[in-house]
Amino acid sequence: MAETAAHTAAALDPLEPRPLVAPHHDDKSLNETLLDHVWAKPGKGWFMLFGLALAALGLLVLGVTVTLARGVGMWGNNQPNGWAFDIINFVWWVGIGHAGTLISAILLLFQQKWRTSINRFAEAMTLFAVCCAGLFPLLHTGRPWFAFWLFPYPSTLGAWPQFRSPLVWDVFAISTYLTVSALFWYVGLIPDLAALRDSSKGKIQRIVYGLFALGWRGSGRHWHNYKIGYLLLAGISTPLVVSVHTIVSFDFATSLIPGWHATIFPPYFVAGAVFSGFAMVITLIVPARKYLKLRDVITDRHLENMNKVILATGLIVSYGYMMEHFIAWYSGNEYEIWTFYVNRARGPYAGVYWLMIACNVITPNIFWFKKCRTSIPIMWVASILVNIGMWCERFIIIVTSLTQDFLPSSWDLYSPTWVDWSIYVGTLGLFSTLFLLFLKFVPAVAVSEVKELQLELKHAAHHGSHGTDTAAAGTLTHGAH
Amino acid sequence: MPSLKPKLDGATMKDTPTSFALPVVSDKAEATPAHDHAHDVVGDALDHAAAHSDASESGYGRTYWRSLEEKLGKPEYLEESRPEFPEGADLPPTGVARREFMQLLGASLALAGATACSTRPVDERMVPYTRTPPELVPGNPLHYASGMTFGGHTSGLLITAREGRPIKVEGNPQHPVNLGAAGPFEQAFLLSLYDPQRARVLRYRKEPRSLRTFGEELLGGIGRAAQENGGGRVRFLTEPNTSPVLDHLRSRIQQRLPNARFTSYTSVTQDAASEGTRTVFGQSATPVYDFSKADVILSLDADFLESRPANLAYARAFANRRDPAEGNLNRLYVAEPRFTITGGMADHRLRVKSQEVLAVAAAIASRVGGAVAGLAGAAAAKAQLNEAHTKWVDAVAADLRAAGARSAVVAGERQPAVVHALAAALNVALGNVGQTVRYVPSAIAETTSAAALRPLVDEIKSGAVDTLVITAWNPVYRAPVDLGLRDLLDPAKNPNRNKLTVIYTSLFEDETSAYADWFIPAAHELEYWSDGRSIDGTVTVVQPLIQPLFNGVSTPELLALFLGEPYRTSYQILRDFWRGRAAAGTDFETAWETWVSVGIVPDTATAALAGTPNVDAARALVDAYTPPAAGELEVNFVADYKVYDGQFANLSWLQELPDPISKMTWDNAAYLSPATAARLGLQPGDVATLSYGGRTLEVPVWIIPGTADDVVVLPLGYGRMGLHETVAKEVGFNANLVRSVNAPWFDGGAKLEKARRTHKFALTQHHWRMENRPLALDMTVAAFRAEQEKEKRKGSSLLARVRGDLEGGNLMPDFKYEDYKWAMAIDLARCTGCAACVVACQSENNIPVVGKEQVSRSREMQWLRIDRYFTGDELNNPEMVMQPVACVHCEKAPCEYVCPVNATVHSDEGLNDMVYNRCVGTRYCGNNCPYKVRRFNYLHYTADKTPTQKMLMNPDVTVRNRGVMEKCTYCVQRIERVRIKARVEKRPIFEKELQTACQQTCPTQAIVFGTLSDPNAQVTKDHNDERAYKLLHELGTKPRTAHLIRLRNPNPALVPAKPAEGQPEGGH
Repeated sequence: MAETAAHTAAALDPLEPRPLVAPHHDDKSLNETLLDHVWAKPGKGWFMLFGLALAALGLLVLGVTVTLARGVGMWGNNQPNGWAFDIINFVWWVGIGHAGTLISAILLLFQQKWRTSINRFAEAMTLFAVCCAGLFPLLHTGRPWFAFWLFPYPSTLGAWPQFRSPLVWDVFAISTYLTVSALFWYVGLIPDLAALRDSSKGKIQRIVYGLFALGWRGSGRHWHNYKIGYLLLAGISTPLVVSVHTIVSFDFATSLIPGWHATIFPPYFVAGAVFSGFAMVITLIVPARKYLKLRDVITDRHLENMNKVILATGLIVSYGYMMEHFIAWYSGNEYEIWTFYVNRARGPYAGVYWLMIACNVITPNIFWFKKCRTSIPIMWVASILVNIGMWCERFIIIVTSLTQDFLPSSWDLYSPTWVDWSIYVGTLGLFSTLFLLFLKFVPAVAVSEVKELQLELKHAAHHGSHGTDTAAAGTLTHGAH
Repeated sequence: MPSLKPKLDGATMKDTPTSFALPVVSDKAEATPAHDHAHDVVGDALDHAAAHSDASESGYGRTYWRSLEEKLGKPEYLEESRPEFPEGADLPPTGVARREFMQLLGASLALAGATACSTRPVDERMVPYTRTPPELVPGNPLHYASGMTFGGHTSGLLITAREGRPIKVEGNPQHPVNLGAAGPFEQAFLLSLYDPQRARVLRYRKEPRSLRTFGEELLGGIGRAAQENGGGRVRFLTEPNTSPVLDHLRSRIQQRLPNARFTSYTSVTQDAASEGTRTVFGQSATPVYDFSKADVILSLDADFLESRPANLAYARAFANRRDPAEGNLNRLYVAEPRFTITGGMADHRLRVKSQEVLAVAAAIASRVGGAVAGLAGAAAAKAQLNEAHTKWVDAVAADLRAAGARSAVVAGERQPAVVHALAAALNVALGNVGQTVRYVPSAIAETTSAAALRPLVDEIKSGAVDTLVITAWNPVYRAPVDLGLRDLLDPAKNPNRNKLTVIYTSLFEDETSAYADWFIPAAHELEYWSDGRSIDGTVTVVQPLIQPLFNGVSTPELLALFLGEPYRTSYQILRDFWRGRAAAGTDFETAWETWVSVGIVPDTATAALAGTPNVDAARALVDAYTPPAAGELEVNFVADYKVYDGQFANLSWLQELPDPISKMTWDNAAYLSPATAARLGLQPGDVATLSYGGRTLEVPVWIIPGTADDVVVLPLGYGRMGLHETVAKEVGFNANLVRSVNAPWFDGGAKLEKARRTHKFALTQHHWRMENRPLALDMTVAAFRAEQEKEKRKGSSLLARVRGDLEGGNLMPDFKYEDYKWAMAIDLARCTGCAACVVACQSENNIPVVGKEQVSRSREMQWLRIDRYFTGDELNNPEMVMQPVACVHCEKAPCEYVCPVNATVHSDEGLNDMVYNRCVGTRYCGNNCPYKVRRFNYLHYTADKTPTQKMLMNPDVTVRNRGVMEKCTYCVQRIERVRIKARVEKRPIFEKELQTACQQTCPTQAIVFGTLSDPNAQVTKDHNDERAYKLLHELGTKPRTAHLIRLRNPNPALVPAKPAEGQPEGGH
């Protein structure tokens, strides 16, 4: 919490971090900047992207239709490879979703001020990523119309799910995660929706935003309840950051397949999830802040901080890989040795494996250098590489472990079909569509929180070094709307 | 003119049966033919039509066509009998079947009317359910003894019928060859019965006709012409025949038409054996081996564990000698060009070209010496022994000499007569005759090779034949190309063709039917009465299980038409024949009932030849032998393990069955050794142009280690182009297109050149090696004893790993088993890998066929698979080991705890149950199964079943839907059936009454099933056997299936100096 010290010193000091909010803003200008893109007519670029996203969404509809009509046999999954693109993409999307909760909840509890400008953005990303992720477990079942059997509902047959199965844990983990993320996002959005209602020029907008604002008036009582509620939600979300991907990793770790059966999976999966989540935030926020003109609130310092997180989690992921390989060798278990040293490194999917190593182990290390941490083009490319790398990681974990397990007679390769690809590209389309709609209709940055932060920073600047704890408490009454 | 049929229970007896006919065991009531006026065919038909024109019961098709027929007034359009539409055709056809059906019906309405023409003019006794016969309890299966004939020999089967539908084939335990077992062909036999693509229309050229019209034609036009000069212009082309009743019919036809001639043909002929033995024994003889007495066996390119006709009995006797618990192991030497199932069981296998087998045989014979010395010398002059084989030959000869009369020499049907003569001479010289082998007069007396067809071909070419009756299966397809049958029967190419009337009967409209004038859809063997002999002469009564489904005509009935006698059903023909043969004064009816119920006619086995063999008489044969051209590649033709010579090509179970050696489905390939492929620059999957004998053929290439170098192996039976055989159509290539009459099995001088294309194969196993994992354990007796010694001192890492104490290796709680503990044991020493169990499982458990595309995606559904690994010198001279793997029913099953919906659960008897209804298809269980035995319905594989195909389904087993996981259940339906019986009788389940499908059909009894709670059960003994181990034991899954280590018994003289024998599986 070095930056809590003060922002009194001018930006001239090279040791001083750059500001979190451009200092020339006041409440009004922030309001205008942050709500502007909602009221402005979307530009050509937005429409083009939206068209692209809709086209990809069409692929999703096609892929899902084909899958439901004919069966999962339209995918490339086969006898040893019961899971493939379905679970790869599921884990990938869930992982991406992790940045949101981490930024919103954990950084809130740790009182990291720099989260304020990006939390809305990251939470939205989480929500949409989890939506995409949720599609896969449903679709991948042989009989999706019975997928509800995984829920403990009062069946007339008295049949319950099998609670020893990690898939049932998944159902709870993912649905809880989705619910809490949605609530957290929405609750945080309420003051801004009210702001939109109040600044809207048309009747319809006013009514619609008014409905969603749930009668927010910005009274002290509102703020009081709101803050408590938000903090509670943050508290509830916090364990989810760890639990969701831990449980997802149990899908593999509790099995006995070499390459899956590993105790390091939970921490390594969580780190990987945060890693990919932050990378995705960078990928999205870099263009977004340019076109939505949010440079003043999402500053280079935000980006640099995120890159530091990427570096840190990237190192944890690398350590995970190292330990996997070490344990495989150290155990002397020939199935494990085969999986890690023969099949993955030299097998039919070695290309994917080395791409994974290049993207996940080598790429984040460029962020040791400040130049790379702060260069927009470099970080953007790196963030995309990390996302590719993390996709490859899931491919390697799932596919290579299944293709060659215990009995060589059953070994067989996996290759995706066009339906696999169209569903994957389709979820990218779904994600983009939702995200573009989010950018259009909802403030991408939490306006009230930024204003609060602004006030807080100014307050701190006036009064010298103040503990932020009192500042946070103090702002409760400054309903700055 | 009878107005209505007799009434039963006051209801009019309907034409179309609402249920399926039961097999008629006795016809006492109807023994006298009721059709004395059968000559009046037209009158009969008119009577019949009048009697049956009940407008109230008809659909539009019937009334419509009846009225048109009447309007036309042509007798050939009149239908004559009961089952007006084929069984199942009255149900709405769906999917592919419907299209096929419509094709068969043809575009013309006339054709549609003709399907109504039944072939069964006489009513047999039908039993409606209103009066249930005493033996029938709905829901309970009935078993009938019957048989299956192919290649002339008849094997004894036991067929399970449910409510009149035959649904499962087993071997007849009373039959001397089957001994209760059945091979893949027999297991798939029923599929051809219900094949919706079977021919349904009797036709003259393109016009549909009724059988009665055909009969008239035989009495009239064709018949009169035929009788001129005693049938001198009539020829019959038949399958090889051992059936006494068909033999009788033939001789009666010959009496009527003394100048007519019968010729037999089959692709896998026993002619060479007959010729070779004739020289030694003075008459054509068949060796019948008793491998239970043979300590040393030499196979000269003889795949006796799999090639017909006696393989089932041989495999049983052979396997009993591979179990150390039953005495000392025998030792098998095999010299062969390609890896066969028998070669896989060999202790020492010599890779030789087919033409080198003679040299090997001669060299061994000359070293054995004695009576065979002279013959061996003459043979050795014809074939030079490869020096590299000397050591092997020396060792084998020494071993044979040492074993003396406890040895056996077997020659394969692909080898020329000289090799058979040498084998017979060796058996004589070693004193085996009467000990391990007896020579009996051949059950098939006639020649059956393609060479024997030459005279017939010449006659037809010169226009000397008016009528050619073909009852042999599809000669146009399966005869070697240079015989020119296709051109001969093609009016465009043979000027004398228009003088000839070709009458052809077959189950399918196939390659030959395209050239037939009269095509008569054949009845399936399970639709009519017949008989046939097995190799030792034992007669099997072939009993029908169902009325003809597609109005087929049986071969006996068809041949009987040539007698110009009143129509008799196959039942009457058979009974009349056997009644005539019954000894005077005996009670024929009682005897008959016994024969039919047991399935065999007792005391019909042929006695062994008595005369003294004369070994030197074979010298002339040897001297006359010309070895085939050497040089280039040696082309080898072999009968396929799955479709034989193509007869079974339309059976999807067999097409999808992985080839035991190559694990290939839905294809054949030109098989090469790795070295030869490397020399020719060919990769697996490349297409190459094969040129041989002036002909070329594009063949896809596959590599099998263990194939002899400079040899290309072409399996027969593929590349079928039959009109409606859509399963077989265009699968693989037709090797007959380069096969010649003079070299039906092998010849030198072939060339392979890489073509540009590649071909995609669908294999079920891609990986050859075990990767040093202790999976299919296979070691020499000595190595095993050494490991056992080490185990006692806790020093055997191998045995400790596969059966040592795990000490809490699994955290799952133990289950308590208070009653039965179902378990299985599979003896790898006995298993030959013949795959009969795989087909039996498919049949018993309604396992769908998924097609080549799905297999190539690795989605085959067979619950039981046979893993085949190559060990030792993998590329050049590997050993092969087979390991059947199905669900092993783990006590601590990894699949159970990961299922989110409790769809796979543990029973209190240790079964790992699969609840299809509950399965949502997450496939997690399949992923977590270390044995990878779970099979997932990725698509709705059972969706397109036609009504006839549905009749084949086992009603005790759920037909699975799309999106559901399935796997071996240990035949839980069989357990439950015997449990009901045992509960009723208030007793435990007896071991003998319960067999799984795979166990029941296994020719070698490699599979044992039972309860571990019974200390005396065989399965308990096997689980406690010194060789027992558990697959992937170290995972702590506690499988209920144990495997028994396969032991080899190598000749110390041939064991390589290094002690590495059996080590590749050691896994250290």
